[in-house]
Amino acid sequence: MITVEHVLALSGLLFAIGALGALTRRNLIVILMCIELMLNAVNLAFVGFARAWGDLGGQVVVLMVIAVAAGSVAVGLGIVIALFRNRDSVNIEDVSLLKW
Amino acid sequence: MSPASPAMNLDFSAIAPVAIVAMGAMAVLVLEVFLARMRSLSEFHVSVALALVATLALVLALGTAGQAFLQGTSSVFNADNPMLRLDRFSAFATVVVGIGALLSVWMSMQYLIELRINHGEHYALLLISTAGMMVLVAAVDILTVFLGLEILSLPIYVLAGFDRRKTTSNEAAMKYFLVGTFATALLLYGTALLYGTTGETGLDGIRAAFPSDNPLALAGLGLVVVGLAFKVSAAPFHQWTPDVYEGAPTSVTGFMSVTVKAAAFAALLRFAGGDVEPAAENLGRILWGIALLSMVLGNITAVVQDNVKRMLAWSAVAHAGYVLVGFTAGAPGHGAVLFYLAAYLFANLGAFAVIVALADRGRDQDRIESFAGLARRRPGMAALMTLFLLSLAGLPGTVGFIAKFQIFSVAVRAEELSLAIVAVLTTVVSFYYYLRVPVWMYMRDPGETPPRAGLDTPEAAVLSACAIAVLLLGFFPNGGFPVPVLQDATVLAWAHEAAAALR
Repeated sequence: MITVEHVLALSGLLFAIGALGALTRRNLIVILMCIELMLNAVNLAFVGFARAWGDLGGQVVVLMVIAVAAGSVAVGLGIVIALFRNRDSVNIEDVSLLKW
Repeated sequence: MSPASPAMNLDFSAIAPVAIVAMGAMAVLVLEVFLARMRSLSEFHVSVALALVATLALVLALGTAGQAFLQGTSSVFNADNPMLRLDRFSAFATVVVGIGALLSVWMSMQYLIELRINHGEHYALLLISTAGMMVLVAAVDILTVFLGLEILSLPIYVLAGFDRRKTTSNEAAMKYFLVGTFATALLLYGTALLYGTTGETGLDGIRAAFPSDNPLALAGLGLVVVGLAFKVSAAPFHQWTPDVYEGAPTSVTGFMSVTVKAAAFAALLRFAGGDVEPAAENLGRILWGIALLSMVLGNITAVVQDNVKRMLAWSAVAHAGYVLVGFTAGAPGHGAVLFYLAAYLFANLGAFAVIVALADRGRDQDRIESFAGLARRRPGMAALMTLFLLSLAGLPGTVGFIAKFQIFSVAVRAEELSLAIVAVLTTVVSFYYYLRVPVWMYMRDPGETPPRAGLDTPEAAVLSACAIAVLLLGFFPNGGFPVPVLQDATVLAWAHEAAAALR
């Protein structure tokens, strides 16, 4: 029997892996993937909670998150391409013109 | 969220401002394609046409929201399952972001041509982002909070990188995108936890069922606050702010600095507002720390900046702190917060409009050295910049003073004395870096470089509108200025009435 605790633990773990990756990795594409992982962890949590409450609301949110995440990846990759054209690099350490 | 009944009870007046602005964005996109093909039109005329369409959409939306505010009606989109609510609160916030967008449209016209990045998509993206803000301020469900936040953010990521041949602009877009989506993910996870612990997606339902002894629910609330704190650039979630403000085109910086902040603070008010808030105490404690850190860090770091855009970015962090002081005072502070956001709009947008108008030879002249002797070369611009900076600092006679005074007095009344003292002390510090610019403008010799000659009509209109608003609201915050329409413009009272709609 899979309970809501199992789902929550898995989604929490995925979210933590994603967050850690987004903060420590240096490749922009990998960071984008890590952020997607975080969003999917959110989806998992919403679906699990929706099942536990017997409520459709959470599942509707998941559909919206999937749609919006696709849009946000498109924008993100567009920015990466613009950057790559000017810099020939997708490494975040090469993106450091602006400093205080 | 309950399953929708077959006969859905849709009240479209609640989404009228959003729909009008979104349709305006589509119209701009289509029109741009046709106008760009007409060889007889100059670049400037195309811009004017697109800006006029954008203005029409924004004015209509402002009219709808303004009417809803004055009538005091509250309309809900889908009464069975509330998603968006246009009450006095969201109407006020809608008008604030709408005015910010309107001023940004006219401010950016000549600047885009000067920087050779004059693409019609700019106006469309600006309008889409504004529509997203209007969704966010009216959102009463975690679904619409998320949608509004993303609709407002995605166009701004693009706008920050709009000068795509410039590496600084690319970098600003990249940083803003990474930090912004990270923050959205945090906020979403927070809403997932809130949903999991209450079984509700509506904010009212969540608030009513909030189990304040459940650590998961508290973690959810904390994550939501952190996600929104990134958007309003409150410390310690502010690291992106100076880089993005400096790298993005200045007209975009001006737009996002005021409107994103207003919209995200409005969303935070929806979460924090209302006096039946079991989590209010915990939330208050988190916000107390964020407010203190923002004021101290923002004001002290701003002192050592040599780039005016960067200085204004750190001042934005500081102002986020002042606004959060209003949050810690509970319900009486919410009206002060709304008025502060309106006051900040005119002063900050005005300061950025001056930098926009000074752009020369395809680039910003935003180093403090380029302001040397400006008072001799361009006395009007120097005077306006001084006025806007003094309003940001909070000199009496400007709207910034009224706004800060409101915030400080509610903090004192709520017995948040230590926070009020820090706020006053950091305001004193802020006079140093705000006055540094006028010192360069009035007391240094101008450099060798001759400046761009004239001031274009749209820019002049935006600058004078901001200046008039700063002075008028500074002297007559509650109306009474002997001119027919302005006589009844009791903006300060309106802000408090708008906040009352939260409860």
